[in-house]
Amino acid sequence: MLPNFTYVCASSEKEAIKHLASDGARIHAGGTDLLGCLRDHVFTARKIVSISKLDSLHGIRKTAEGGLRVGALATITEVARNPIIRDRYHVLAQAASEVASPQLRNQGTIGGNICQKPRCWYYRGEFHCLRKGGDQCFAAGGENQFHCIFGGDMCYIVHPSDTSPALLSLGASVQISGKRGSRTVLMEHFHIPPGQDVQKETILEPDEIVTAILLPPASPAMKSSYRKVRARQSWDFALAGTALAIQFSGATVEKARVVFSGVAPVPWRSKEVEKTITGKRLDANLAAKAAEAAVKGAEAMEKNAYKIPLLRGIVEEELIAIAKL
Amino acid sequence: MKQDEKGVYYAKDIFVTETPEPGKDPKPWGKTAVIGKSQSRIDAYERVSGTAVYPSDLSLPNMLYGAILRCPHPHAIIKKVDTSRANKMPGVLAIISAATSEADIYWSYSKDVKTKLFDPHCRFEGETIAAVAAQTPYQASDALRSIQVDYQILPYIVDEQNALESGATKVHEGGNLVKPEETYFRGDIEKGFAQADVVLEESYRTECQVHTPMEPHGCVAYWDGDLLVIHESTQGVYSVQSNVAQTLGLPLSKVRVIGHYMGGGFGSKLVAGKYTVITALLAKRTGRPVKLFLTREETYLCTGNRPPANMTLKAGVKKDGTLTALDFSVTGTGGAYPAGGTALVDWLIKDLYTCPNVSTKATDVYINTGPARPFRAPGHPQGAWALEQMMDALAEAVGIDPVQLRLKNIPSYSQAREGNPPYTTTGLKDCLEQGAQAFRWNERKKEIEGFNSSKHLRRGVGMASCLWIAGGGGPPSTIILKLFSDGSVNLNMGASDIGTGTKTVMAMVVAEELNVRTEMIQIEHADTGTTQYATPSGGSKTVPTETPAVRSAAINIKQQLLQMAADDLKTQVSTLHFNGDEIVAKNDNSIKIKISEISGLKKRGVVVGIGYRGPNPEGKVVNPFAAQFCEVEVNTKTGEVRIIDFLGANDSGRVMDRLTYDNQVYGGITMGIGFAMTEVRILDSNDTGKMLNRNWHDYKLPTALDMPPHMESLPIDLPDTEANITGAKGLGEPVTIPTAAAIANAVYHATGVRIRKTPLNPTQLSMIFSEHLKEK
Ligand SMILES: Cc1cc2nc3c(=O)[nH]c(=O)nc-3n(C[C@H](O)[C@H](O)[C@H](O)COP(=O)(O)OP(=O)(O)OC[C@H]3O[C@@H](n4cnc5c(N)ncnc54)[C@H](O)[C@@H]3O)c2cc1C
Repeated sequence: MLPNFTYVCASSEKEAIKHLASDGARIHAGGTDLLGCLRDHVFTARKIVSISKLDSLHGIRKTAEGGLRVGALATITEVARNPIIRDRYHVLAQAASEVASPQLRNQGTIGGNICQKPRCWYYRGEFHCLRKGGDQCFAAGGENQFHCIFGGDMCYIVHPSDTSPALLSLGASVQISGKRGSRTVLMEHFHIPPGQDVQKETILEPDEIVTAILLPPASPAMKSSYRKVRARQSWDFALAGTALAIQFSGATVEKARVVFSGVAPVPWRSKEVEKTITGKRLDANLAAKAAEAAVKGAEAMEKNAYKIPLLRGIVEEELIAIAKL
Repeated sequence: MKQDEKGVYYAKDIFVTETPEPGKDPKPWGKTAVIGKSQSRIDAYERVSGTAVYPSDLSLPNMLYGAILRCPHPHAIIKKVDTSRANKMPGVLAIISAATSEADIYWSYSKDVKTKLFDPHCRFEGETIAAVAAQTPYQASDALRSIQVDYQILPYIVDEQNALESGATKVHEGGNLVKPEETYFRGDIEKGFAQADVVLEESYRTECQVHTPMEPHGCVAYWDGDLLVIHESTQGVYSVQSNVAQTLGLPLSKVRVIGHYMGGGFGSKLVAGKYTVITALLAKRTGRPVKLFLTREETYLCTGNRPPANMTLKAGVKKDGTLTALDFSVTGTGGAYPAGGTALVDWLIKDLYTCPNVSTKATDVYINTGPARPFRAPGHPQGAWALEQMMDALAEAVGIDPVQLRLKNIPSYSQAREGNPPYTTTGLKDCLEQGAQAFRWNERKKEIEGFNSSKHLRRGVGMASCLWIAGGGGPPSTIILKLFSDGSVNLNMGASDIGTGTKTVMAMVVAEELNVRTEMIQIEHADTGTTQYATPSGGSKTVPTETPAVRSAAINIKQQLLQMAADDLKTQVSTLHFNGDEIVAKNDNSIKIKISEISGLKKRGVVVGIGYRGPNPEGKVVNPFAAQFCEVEVNTKTGEVRIIDFLGANDSGRVMDRLTYDNQVYGGITMGIGFAMTEVRILDSNDTGKMLNRNWHDYKLPTALDMPPHMESLPIDLPDTEANITGAKGLGEPVTIPTAAAIANAVYHATGVRIRKTPLNPTQLSMIFSEHLKEK
């Protein structure tokens, strides 16, 4: 059951920011993640500030620089179906279309997707864990089959978002408004690893709103794709996945961004894979090498060792596939 | 709806089935007009439009909402329950706990084990501590959170594989063994192995699967004077009535249980729950109706599961495919109370294939988890996971096709039962042969070998077969049919329609026998106040139990009509028969009377027919049989398994309604896919013993996208005329027994890797393939 809270529907960014400054205020976009957290008593809220009426946060449009501005309130479905995204930012359309289920994609927003809370069952369950202000990570010695193999540090969540790795691979940035004005932050710096702050997932201050996501102009030489493996084919998060954005010159990789999902507390950029393939002809041999590089430094816990061969398999398969696109 | 102008009997071309003399059994149906056809549900509109009122939809004037406080620890002693704060909260009308005098009663966990309804010793997470009735669900939930409980947290054990180790935490004082190991022997097992050309031994495990009916467990209860009325989501109103009456010390007549619609049970709603009794107590205390439905999290903790099974099987076979010995053992758990933790897991090993030398051993242990409840074909899918994979391995070892190996070992009698009684019918051979043919088993096996050359996406086909220990049904059942003067019919039966289409099938039987359209039939059912005693709908026995009684009731009406017509026509009954909407003399069709003109019917306004379920044939066994075939595609780099095709061939006697029949086949395969591939109960065994995946995201039921794009149902329509007077056997359970094993066999065929544990998904397979398929 939900806690008691007051509800306001802000009519301007300014008004929303003002409400958010009050103690225990939470942003409500599509509510698909927020309401679940409240019902499960993961955290509580005294005031729910709906941003759904803020026109400036809606819509997907081209920018003057030739990139794309995706409003924070664009639904996952809108992102998945947008013709420009499908055409030039394929990895994002693909990632969006693999999110959750049709109902959740219709209701959930891209802003909410990158801000969503972790899915660790200890965090979501009746466990007073480190991330909730407790003094223990239950996953470390517990049931950690869905936890991270990279970047674990006191807390071993994986970042649940599919769109975030795609956005990171595209070099996207996040537009933010708050009581001290607005700022734009690279997607790469938006999420916070547990080693930095175990109770925060993003750099947002309580009064800050994501207003939009900015995609830089897409080079025609870029190919991009997203591959996600899960325990069932819908309504499920990634066990492991990879976003690829690669600029080719012929069969040779000129520039590459490789970002993993489902294996780390933040979208996990693999400089190792990028290094392995950049400047080389992408063929089956190189893909196999890159797959080995992908899992360098991975540390398995008791129950998630499968993620290492899984990630290796995904990277190899997907690199071969993108070369053929 | 307008009645056919012809009156009572509407069909032109079809004769009403011959009416037997009173006391004699009718002949089996010959050509049928309704039975065996595709009839959509008679309540389809209500179900689809949302006008069907399920117990959880019910809202009564002045109704309160109940909620239960549950122990958050797998093992604890309740030291103190302080409800003082909760009592003062707005909207709270009653709180009951161990300190409440009328709640100081016993609850039977099994025949021999009783505890207090609110027992201070909580042996599993989710055990009941107190309950609240309040004006809104929110108030009830807030009140629960305000109850202060002092727990003495005790050590726990939640892994059945360690339950018998010395020093293991004891769930009960007497230790963790539920009962002495159960053993079974026949023949001489050592001799059997000595005769074998090939002996294989393997260990297998299936994970705990949790019931997930769409409608959670619960009820609405109120008191009408001293009569307790309960609208419960249940598979059997009469079993709920008797559980509640016994627990509360009431006469059966003072407990009325109603369960018209219900949103699934799969075995977990065969009996009343503590929640039923608690709701009744809250209703009594407040003098108002109380609605109490569990949350999904609660149902996952405490309304049952299919226990995990740890199995080993050693098998011997001769080169020609003759099985010589099977040696099986299983360790399982029904949780914290006796609940059949290993029940029937060994049945297929003992009974499915001809084998003279068999030994089985079952060890059922206690752990600190919610008690199991029967789950669609209890024990069988687990046993099939072991046996059917072993058959596949044996077939390969002796170089015989898996279908042929099974065909070679089909018994005509039940080897596991005293006196080796024969089966009335066994369609196992037909299931295997016709199934293999319809699936193109032989051709596809070859085609796939071509597909697989040097690819990491590998295809494979697999199959498995089964029988189901029950499925013959039997007495008791009493059916009352009323034929009104306009020819429409009221069917009154105690059985529940648990979503399988029971009402539809019963209406079809009436339609067939009385030649009346199904739209003219009104059904009253599942109400202990107004319908007759029936056993719960479970065990795949509802159709074979109830349809013969319905047919008998219809025949009883026809016999009465013939007698009345004979009186009107002043002739002997034996000279008359039904012809369309008339009763006519057999040798002189000028002597006749329209049924609607029969004076007895006109005067009384109704003819009441009573039908009873007769006994099953003595010394024989009525079981359904099945075989399933599937094709999969395996990604050996990631461990993903995609099911491409499934075929289920079933011998369940006569096909009653082809549509509901196919529903069961597809549904059973779907559930079997979940069991094989996605469903696992996960307990935090190291740290807290709590269940971690108690919602629909973390507990992974298969979705539509996990289903094969093509599924086929192949009925072996083999009316079992010896079994009962409709020739039907049960279907609802055999359809899910061989599924998981068939998939595992297909994965083996694709990859050459034998997967001995569920679930078949990347969380397990990516590791296994990376270790075993390096060279490929
Ligand atoms: C069963 C289930 C399965 C799912 N599976 C997947 C999956 O496979 N892959 C995947 O990527 N996601 C998955 N999701 C997550 C889903 O995509 C997110 O819930 C959704 O995108 C969130 O969007 P929303 O608008 O509903 O956010 P809300 O629920 O409204 O908000 C989510 C969080 O973000 C904050 N927030 C929202 N908008 C803003 C903003 N503009 N600025 C600052 N903060 C904001 C809220 O305060 C809240 O904390 C799943 C969710 C569920 C419930």
